[in-house]
Amino acid sequence: MQLTDRFTVSDDVVAREVGGEMVLLDLNSGQYFGLDTVGGRIWTLLSERPHDLKELCDLIEAEFDAPRDRIEADLLALAKELRDQELISACAA
Amino acid sequence: MDWTPETAREQRPLPADPYDRWVSPQGVCMAEFHRSGGGYLIRFPYQCDFQLDQDPGGEGFRIIGWPAPDCDTQSVINLFHNAIQPILGNHGGGLFLHGSAVRLASGDDESQAAGAVAFLGLSRGGKTTLAGSFAQSGFPFLTEDVIDLSHREGSYWLQPKRSKLRLFADSARFLLGEEFEVGDDELKQDVEAGGTLPFARQEVPLRQIYVLGTDHSAALKIRRLSLPDALKTLMPHAFILDVEDKPRLKGHFARMADLSQDIPCYALDFTRDYAELPRVRRAVLENFASL
Repeated sequence: MQLTDRFTVSDDVVAREVGGEMVLLDLNSGQYFGLDTVGGRIWTLLSERPHDLKELCDLIEAEFDAPRDRIEADLLALAKELRDQELISACAA
Repeated sequence: MDWTPETAREQRPLPADPYDRWVSPQGVCMAEFHRSGGGYLIRFPYQCDFQLDQDPGGEGFRIIGWPAPDCDTQSVINLFHNAIQPILGNHGGGLFLHGSAVRLASGDDESQAAGAVAFLGLSRGGKTTLAGSFAQSGFPFLTEDVIDLSHREGSYWLQPKRSKLRLFADSARFLLGEEFEVGDDELKQDVEAGGTLPFARQEVPLRQIYVLGTDHSAALKIRRLSLPDALKTLMPHAFILDVEDKPRLKGHFARMADLSQDIPCYALDFTRDYAELPRVRRAVLENFASL
């Protein structure tokens, strides 16, 4: 996975922020997932429109106080997890 | 709503596998959901087949129920009220949960402070007996199996349902005395509300939700659920007609998220022993008073 990869959220996932956590429900599997504040923000951004990971890093860097290299590493790990769970999918630019 | 079943008929094998099932904690299939024509066929094995067809041009459903041979009419009518109606209610955008509820009060002014608590749990998890225990202590029950919520004016109004408790023989004897005449020890029977088991006939705002734990030998404990945990915990206690109808599921998820944010939700563990029920009631009442 690379920072130039572009993703969109699955139509089969419903999400809602409750109590500071973004709760995701995969309607196909019935499985729940939870995202923290930063993860929830990333989900919201991806829900609005497809983004590549570099764009997401830029937005997160502007909103949260964290070093760029850590944001990139965490975002790559999160995107891989979300993709592996089929909660997001790659899309064309 | 008045409704009467058709003449009994055999439950013949259906042409396709169900798209959904309700399975008890013991692994027994309690209901199968099939597509049938443009509607649905819900089979409760050895009890009844319900055919649900959308009214042409309407929002409602036409409901036909064929009891299985040897299934008594009252059991079929109970299924209609406790399963089919809430299933269709949620399908139509309502908020129905599987549980019992009682009306409590805190403070001196009962009429001002009255509110309902709901007990959600799996079948044979103790919901009805707990509601009956509260009723026996003077806190009227509102429902024994279906939580029907109407959201308006900033509150979730819990609607009274049928004024009956469906109890197994041992619970009926515990609540009504050893002299109470019971039928089959293995089957639930309807016990009408009355002086010993009062029923609340008016809607009451829901104040708290308790989800009964599945460990029936657990020590008494009440634990507040986080909002995300409350949402995840409440969802399986709803009645869903079509798990493949994603737009409706999304709407239902949103309604449940609102509920979990607005109403405090607790995990309630206790030993399923009649002697424990007074302590359970006290713990719930103390927790209710702390609101």
